[in-house]
Amino acid sequence: MTPANTVILIEDEPQIRRFVKEALETEGWKVFEAENGKRGLIEAGSRKPDLLVVDLGLPDMDGVEVVRDFRTWSTAPILILSARTEERDKILALDAGADDYLTKPFGIGELLARVRAVTRRRLQGLETSPKQCFADVEVDLSRHSVMRNGVPVHLTPTEYRLLGSLLANSGKIMSHRRLMQEVWGPNHTESSHYLRIYMSHLRQKLEIDPAQPIHLLTETGVGYRFEP
Amino acid sequence: MQHKAKTFTVKQSYLIAIVFCAVTTIAATPLRHFLDLANIVMLFLLVVFLIALKLGRGPAVMSAFLAVALFDFFFVPPRLSFAVNDVQYLVTFAVMLAVGLATAHLAATLHMQAEAALERERNTHRLYELARDLAGTATQEQVAQVLVQYMSGSAHSATLHLLDVDGELPSLGHQVALASLAYMAIKQGSLIDTSQLSDVGGHTLILPLKSPSEVRGVMVIETNASNIKASNNIDKKQFEAVANLTAIAIERLHYVEVAQQTQLEASAERLRSSVLSALSHDLRTPLTGLVGMADVLALAAEPQLENVYNAATSIRDQARAMNNLLDNLLDMARLHAGKVELRKDWQLFEDVIGSSIKLLKSALSQHPVKVVLAPDLPLVEFDDVLLERVLCNLLENAAKYSAVGAPIEVRGFVEGEYACVALRDHGQGFPADQIESLFTMFSRGKSESSTIGVGLGLAICRAIVEAHGGKIKASNCEGGGACVTFWLPLGNPPCVDSEQ
Repeated sequence: MTPANTVILIEDEPQIRRFVKEALETEGWKVFEAENGKRGLIEAGSRKPDLLVVDLGLPDMDGVEVVRDFRTWSTAPILILSARTEERDKILALDAGADDYLTKPFGIGELLARVRAVTRRRLQGLETSPKQCFADVEVDLSRHSVMRNGVPVHLTPTEYRLLGSLLANSGKIMSHRRLMQEVWGPNHTESSHYLRIYMSHLRQKLEIDPAQPIHLLTETGVGYRFEP
Repeated sequence: MQHKAKTFTVKQSYLIAIVFCAVTTIAATPLRHFLDLANIVMLFLLVVFLIALKLGRGPAVMSAFLAVALFDFFFVPPRLSFAVNDVQYLVTFAVMLAVGLATAHLAATLHMQAEAALERERNTHRLYELARDLAGTATQEQVAQVLVQYMSGSAHSATLHLLDVDGELPSLGHQVALASLAYMAIKQGSLIDTSQLSDVGGHTLILPLKSPSEVRGVMVIETNASNIKASNNIDKKQFEAVANLTAIAIERLHYVEVAQQTQLEASAERLRSSVLSALSHDLRTPLTGLVGMADVLALAAEPQLENVYNAATSIRDQARAMNNLLDNLLDMARLHAGKVELRKDWQLFEDVIGSSIKLLKSALSQHPVKVVLAPDLPLVEFDDVLLERVLCNLLENAAKYSAVGAPIEVRGFVEGEYACVALRDHGQGFPADQIESLFTMFSRGKSESSTIGVGLGLAICRAIVEAHGGKIKASNCEGGGACVTFWLPLGNPPCVDSEQ
């Protein structure tokens, strides 16, 4: 990892700030702290960070507002910290442009895994190989083919678009709304049961145990995530 | 004048009439040399007219006859005798009598109409005053007081009996006959007059209090038994008007009360939810710090200091356990208040079962989980966040109460009108005598168990499942192990077009 990677951490609780900072520093991040939203946005403006970590419950402004503001001028990944009771806010933050969230309380392992996931593609450069493998499945996006154990798997066009959308955002959480928009188009963001049914089909075809998926994961109340 | 005339008794009226006729006779006697007899007749007719106007019909009729007699006796020759020389005077008498009687009748009718109009006006005015007084009332006691005041000048007394929330009349509990009549009046929506019922003595009116939305009770009007005359001409219309005004006043008070209650509940609810979210935030923040810093400690200690590492990881696990307890307590507080908003969506059990198992990965690490879902399981409408809570609680219990390595089975299937999920472990099962009470708050299988948990988990599961219109049951399986099953109503899932 290059040493120049910077992260802005916006969190009002000093104890949480402290351990998040320590954890990120062990991974080589240069951490700048801010204790409220306004301060954080100013820091972000001057530091041009490679990652933004924002608590949803800030004293001076809504975390969702911070996300929205930051997204207007930066494409750097945003990781949300939130309490379990804030499902609605999580979705709002994801739709406003956040990449992922962590539910409090979280361990350092989870934190670093999420950070790696949301920054992976950016650090690797935006180049992704047309061939992606997970478990016994091999997807070749350039040839529109999906193989499982060397045997071709038939996917319907919708299933293929859904899989493609998840693979393109590998490791990132995708809200129901966003997936609906990408797969069915901007006019089909309401009837999310379609999404659930097609997700189930994909799992039937690609997961070893569809009821206990390893790669095509459900984020309850929020959306789905592909974990390579 | 009217009021003054009214003060005369019947006897006095007749006496006055006689006096007037006598005075007229005496006054007219010296004038008989100057006036024609026809003009003297006019004087008598004038007196009869005045008497009719002031004293009413009876004295007027009497004075008409008296006037004829006096005229005959004192003025028609031969004087001081009832004999008549000229037969034509008989015509005079007849005309005089007829005009006198007609005048008496007309004047008296006019008098009565004027009296009646005045009475109506007085009643209207009193009703207006009643309406004004009722509009100013703030309690039911004040309404009753205003009614007492209204009735105070009359021979009647009014009492109010209002329906309570169960549709009963508690204030009439001891008067069985009256109560049954009152219920009848409420049912019919019209007044009941007990004088028309042979089997009930006394004279009582029972009027339903009909407000625009519903009947709110009855008003009972009792008439003072000694005042026969008053009881004979009870003005039912008047009382109905009084009952209507009272009903409107009571309805107004009712809605004022409802509005106040709603406001009170809303502010209590705001307070409760702000206390809960403040509590949630204030307790979770230090726990987050604790978990994170224990992790930092564990990472720093990992290679060399095994005991520090162990201590740090157990601090972290305890903090997480405390967080779960907190989640359960807050959930229960919310669910118990009955104000949880379900965010239902049509979805598959598969999603939420998979995410629950993943969430509990570390707790389930010692237990292989087997999931079997029926292929015909349709979309079911539920709140996925809450249902995940149910499944996590059940899975956690299953892991907690069964031996290391024992498998856990989750089955999903359709049963009648319900979609159903059953969870089975291979532990020691539930104590048979406590299966019924498992889902009540703070109950645990074994009272002094070393396994942590407040026993809230199952109570929360039940509250969530019941909020979805479902049910939950615990049982012991044949061959050992506990089984918890919950059912959610199937409903009408939306159809999804399939694609090839």
